[in-house]
Amino acid sequence: MNRRIVGTITLGSLVLVVVLSTAWQTQAQDANAQYPSMAPLDQYLMTDRNAEIALARSAAPEAISRDAEVLVLGRHGYETAVRGKNGFVCVVERGWMSPFDGDGAVNFWNPKIRGPICFNPPAARSILPLTYKRTEMVLAGQSKAQIIDVIKTFIKQGLPPLEPGAMSYMMSKEQYLTDNDHHNWMAHLMFYTPLMDGVVWGADLSNSPVMLNPQFSGAPEPIDVFMVPAGWWSDGTADPVRVR
Amino acid sequence: MIALGVFALAIVLGEWGQAQAQDPKTPYASMAPLDQYLMVDRDAEIAMARSPAPEAISRDAGVLVLGRHGYETAVKGKNGFVSVVERSWMLPYDDPEFWDPKVRLPLCLNPPAARSHLPLTFNQTELAFSGMSKTQMFDRTKTAFDKSELPVPEPGSMCYMLSKQQNFGPKYGNADPHLMFWFPQKDHMNWGADFPASPVDVHQYSPQPITEFVNFSVQVVGRTGGTHECSPTSDHNAHSVMTMRRRSSKSFRLGSRTVSQAVYTGRNRDG
Repeated sequence: MNRRIVGTITLGSLVLVVVLSTAWQTQAQDANAQYPSMAPLDQYLMTDRNAEIALARSAAPEAISRDAEVLVLGRHGYETAVRGKNGFVCVVERGWMSPFDGDGAVNFWNPKIRGPICFNPPAARSILPLTYKRTEMVLAGQSKAQIIDVIKTFIKQGLPPLEPGAMSYMMSKEQYLTDNDHHNWMAHLMFYTPLMDGVVWGADLSNSPVMLNPQFSGAPEPIDVFMVPAGWWSDGTADPVRVR
Repeated sequence: MIALGVFALAIVLGEWGQAQAQDPKTPYASMAPLDQYLMVDRDAEIAMARSPAPEAISRDAGVLVLGRHGYETAVKGKNGFVSVVERSWMLPYDDPEFWDPKVRLPLCLNPPAARSHLPLTFNQTELAFSGMSKTQMFDRTKTAFDKSELPVPEPGSMCYMLSKQQNFGPKYGNADPHLMFWFPQKDHMNWGADFPASPVDVHQYSPQPITEFVNFSVQVVGRTGGTHECSPTSDHNAHSVMTMRRRSSKSFRLGSRTVSQAVYTGRNRDG
């Protein structure tokens, strides 16, 4: 295996990390050095509200997202921009939905990250509250350590139980999930489960289509996120898995 | 005893023949002779059972093979996965291939699914072997779920169906490689199936109180050596083709009754 850089990266609501080379580690260190703390808030916001709505909707096929609720990020948190009819909620997540630590955390404060995602109703009820909570803490100027403490308390006192069937779509061709060459990584679906060994799904094994996303993984959220390639973008164009 | 067996077999064959004569569109109106469902070559069945998942998973999976008295353990597993070749009676009750002896459905169940799906496989197989009609099987299975004698899916239940050898019958052939995820029954809208460009299907086959969520757009992503390799089946040789068409159904006739169920497929982008 001669490829020196093979990793793929942090996604707004998902993170896939492949760390196999010194080159990658060096890159990760560079990224951590590049985004060591929160940038000015304006860099995370999108000035064009309609563009953010369109980007949020692009996470799922139009037949799903056209009737979804749409959230946009404002200076005080996420706001409802469009009321929904089908129970789905579409939102553009930012870098702070990455893992708090580890190699997947390289983009935690990356202001360029845009992770459009459409949650199905069970996920909107039981996963989206984590997006709200993390964002609330970030906008309040909390450090990672403080956010983790708050999340731990939230898990005990306020987080709704994970609902069976919670899943989400991340099929936007416009998603920006990494500073690396393939900013939009791949169209994929995500499934949320209680914490379990990734091996239980056969994740990340040779030729397995299932990947374990380290986004939560008990650190501290007690949720595992499994990803499966969708095969095409939300606009219907093909997204074959690329050999990287 | 032998005479009785021969007599019973004659009745079965006779009914089967009558059904064929009555309705050429339903060539599998009742169960065929048991031998037609069995695989003579036990090693071939083991290999087929292992074929739906990448080798990294299936090599350590338990393997079941179908014998004259039901499924038997052929290989003890180490990783909690169980591989098995299901037969036609695991298809929906309204599927015309329900008794098609050529159907082979290899799947590899992850540990939660092995615990919560296999009991249904064993149940259906036992009922089929007992000579019951579809209507009787349906009723017995419904009662078993109603009485909680059969489990609903455990959280995280899923299986691999990536075998190029899978055979759903003449209509769907080896279909497409896919993953299946099982949940207690929910409204199909929860997953966004039945929409153009949706990469998912949702099945709610009666009488199981189960939602089967199917992702047919699977491309196998390998991370061997850090590269991403892609291919649509577990032996990564075939080309994925969207062979199955969109359909939705809300009810079907079973004997004298109408049965409700829901099937939503949205992945065919051409509609």
